[in-house]
Amino acid sequence: MSVNRSALGQRRRGHELKLGALALVIVAAGHVLLALSESPAFPRDLWAFLGAILALFVIAHLAVRRLAPRADPTLLPLAALLLGIGYITISRLDVAAGAADRVGPTQALWAAVGVVAFVTTLVLLPTVRALARYRYSFLMLGVIALLLPLVPGLGREINGALLWVRIGPLTVQPGEAAKVLLVVFFAAYLVDKRELLSAGSRRIGRVYLPDPKHLGPLLLPWAASILIMVQQKDLGSSLLFFVAFLAMLYIATGRYGYVVIGTGLFATAAIVAYKTFGHVQSRIDIWINPWQDLQDTGYQLTQSLFAFGSGGFAGTGLGLGRPDVIPVATTDFIFAAIGEELGLLGTIAVLIGFMLLVGSAFRISLQAQRPFLKLFGAGLATILGMQTFVIIGGVTRVIPLTGVTLPFVSYGGSSLVSNFVILALLLRISDESATEAEDDAATEEARRAIESAHA
Amino acid sequence: MNANIRRVGLLMIVLMLILAAQLTYLQVLDAGRLANDPRNSRTFLRDFTGPRGAIIDAAGKVLAHTVPSDDEYGRQRKYPLGDLFSQTVGYQSIVVGSVGIEKEYNDVLSGHDLKSVKIDNLGELLLDKEHTANVILSMRADAQQLAKDTLRGQKGSVVVLEPATGAIVAMYSTPSFDPQPLAAHNPREVQVYFDLLNADPSNPALPRAYRERYPPGSTFKIVTTAAALDTGIATPETDFPSVKSFTPPQAGRPIENFGGRSCGGDLESVFVQSCNSAFALLGVQLGELFPPQMRGFGIFEAPSIDLNPGAVVSLGPPEGSFSTNKPSFALAGIGQGEVATTPLQMALVASGVANGGLIMTPHVAAEVRDGDGRILRTIKPKPWKQAMPVATAMTIRDYMVQVVARGTGTAARISGVAVAGKTGTAQSCETCDPHAWFVAFAPAEAPRYAIAVLVENGGSSGDEATGGRVAAPIAAKMLRFLLGL
Repeated sequence: MSVNRSALGQRRRGHELKLGALALVIVAAGHVLLALSESPAFPRDLWAFLGAILALFVIAHLAVRRLAPRADPTLLPLAALLLGIGYITISRLDVAAGAADRVGPTQALWAAVGVVAFVTTLVLLPTVRALARYRYSFLMLGVIALLLPLVPGLGREINGALLWVRIGPLTVQPGEAAKVLLVVFFAAYLVDKRELLSAGSRRIGRVYLPDPKHLGPLLLPWAASILIMVQQKDLGSSLLFFVAFLAMLYIATGRYGYVVIGTGLFATAAIVAYKTFGHVQSRIDIWINPWQDLQDTGYQLTQSLFAFGSGGFAGTGLGLGRPDVIPVATTDFIFAAIGEELGLLGTIAVLIGFMLLVGSAFRISLQAQRPFLKLFGAGLATILGMQTFVIIGGVTRVIPLTGVTLPFVSYGGSSLVSNFVILALLLRISDESATEAEDDAATEEARRAIESAHA
Repeated sequence: MNANIRRVGLLMIVLMLILAAQLTYLQVLDAGRLANDPRNSRTFLRDFTGPRGAIIDAAGKVLAHTVPSDDEYGRQRKYPLGDLFSQTVGYQSIVVGSVGIEKEYNDVLSGHDLKSVKIDNLGELLLDKEHTANVILSMRADAQQLAKDTLRGQKGSVVVLEPATGAIVAMYSTPSFDPQPLAAHNPREVQVYFDLLNADPSNPALPRAYRERYPPGSTFKIVTTAAALDTGIATPETDFPSVKSFTPPQAGRPIENFGGRSCGGDLESVFVQSCNSAFALLGVQLGELFPPQMRGFGIFEAPSIDLNPGAVVSLGPPEGSFSTNKPSFALAGIGQGEVATTPLQMALVASGVANGGLIMTPHVAAEVRDGDGRILRTIKPKPWKQAMPVATAMTIRDYMVQVVARGTGTAARISGVAVAGKTGTAQSCETCDPHAWFVAFAPAEAPRYAIAVLVENGGSSGDEATGGRVAAPIAAKMLRFLLGL
């Protein structure tokens, strides 16, 4: 296959391998440092650990080399770095946890499952374009996934949010899958209705408003967000959905009117929810003043702030702080644990990792030629970016705290698997666009060659 | 569409930059406040689960140390000498907090104070080395034990210090308590023990030696004499008429001499006889000049001491109150009325006379050393108050020597050593037995130790008690032991 040996593909995979090696070195250094903080000896499982992370990365890398050779080279190393930093933090928290509460091995297992999901996605989906065809199936699946936890006997409430579904020994978060499914639907739907939604406006003052009959598509995601907020008490996912949808709507139409109306709708719903629902109100009150009820409602957030402060600029060093006093430190508050032991240097490094990850995802969206790929890529990028902002903003008290996972970093199987699928989809979009561009260029070159031959 | 995608991407970057700004605020600008917030349990956990240095007496005896435990904390603080040091070394308690040396020197004991605990090379980081420091006291366990033994269970205090440095050698009061149960890790048990301690009417948790005030009685005549000499109200030649009592202006009740006897004569004579009528008269003659002179001895100002909580302030009649309350000044002249002092304060008064008028700042710790015995910090002698000129101190020293040689304090005589002392027998209330006091220093010509002994309400002697009979022998025993005689 001459296609696989394109110069662009070779170059990109080479970069991916080198960047990946750098990420692995950083993660391995973290593993060694953590062990040194416990006893003055190198970890006995160093070679096993190195072998495991190397194997996971190489498998993913080879899959990309084979199945999406021209894809962006930065996403996979960035994901490996974030996953590695997350795993080091989780195993650091395991040191202080009781034997029954250790989650590091489970997270390692989920990382492997995530890589399998990543490869499977690339195998099963030779082109992303095909997805657009099944938009309504995705819509239905997405809605079902969202509603699943509400089914009596199936749903499980953890930490006050009804997001989990119990399947045998596993509890999974179908909302993580719904995220991807609904973005597929929105992208396909908006590409269809783009012209319609952009045109036919009425003007009120300086703001162009879309025709009322086109407000329908706005209402569905709005209703879905409200449902999640009220029924599942999951403010974070609710915000995430709505912002991602609004961003896609804006990208598709370029109309600020939708943004204004959408923000207004969401704000109204949020205000009503604040007045009506105790859990929403208490979240906001804690955000405004976490110190007034430090022992009870404000406990989680203040512990998080203490962790960041105790870490300071350079951090206490891996294994030398007390991130074990932070509640739910392996999931919602993992960033606070990183902040304590790695300091501002560590948190900004992780934040830059996310900026590069999200930035690369947007670049993939920009480089795509087909509107569906553009919208789909931008939607996934927004989901990644917003999820990062919602949880880091929550634990640092920029916005009210809502429990979502920090992509690739937090402990949790559902989140890890869905993020690996997002990763695979972005790489697929990137590869598809690059291949098309290459084909176009080849065609153009051939045409020119023929023309010059004729001349 | 690309322009729109860029705008959304830009928005994401802006959101991330907001996060970076907030992180900078939390981890740099506000970090100190958050890290040191008392509600931040890291401080607490560091202190209770981390390594901790020992507290050691002047002879190398361990007063507090940390041993491994098999509970969740992994370490247990131990106080091998029980009640001997609970009022000074204190305790470190998860439930009721920490006090004493344990609290005051927490930063060096826990190794948190990195300025004092140096890491010499990178290699040390890889060794299993605990970077904590030990606190070495100037106090001596054998002196504490003797203080406990000589008090024989009577409520009271013994304070011994070195006049030249302010270093405290012994500071013990009865009743005391065993601090070990407070350092236990079971919150219920600790709370029960703590509540029992506080409910005990004899109040064993109170470090009387520096946190309780008593009328000092005639021991305060040292201050009155110094004030009178320094202000020129009296000279050594001043002649006091021989009378049985003195009735201050504004008051119907006379202040009587001990046992209703007549006394008088020159200043030395009234000092040695502890003549109330003369000193009550001086108190009134001093009037508004008296409180500033007391201030010179440190009355009205808590002495700074390296304990937490520290010493309480000693009191006298307030400035500006003479015109309306002359009897209080007469009573102040004999250490009664509004005068109330801690045993520590009276030991400092004695040390001032011993040290040529200069009172040094009292301290219980001598040094901070690292695990290898290297000195990290030395607690240096620091002047506290210039109580009187050297000449006055010399005069009063001579008077105090006479008190022990031929006056009320003969029970404190030590063969071969000149002891300077002053007795006190202080009324604490109408019907209760008097407090027996004795303050002293020895050897008088080159003082090494100053001491204050207080036995509350006469101890086992009851209404028969005087400072000379009850407190002076205790001081003599302490001094004899410390001087190696």
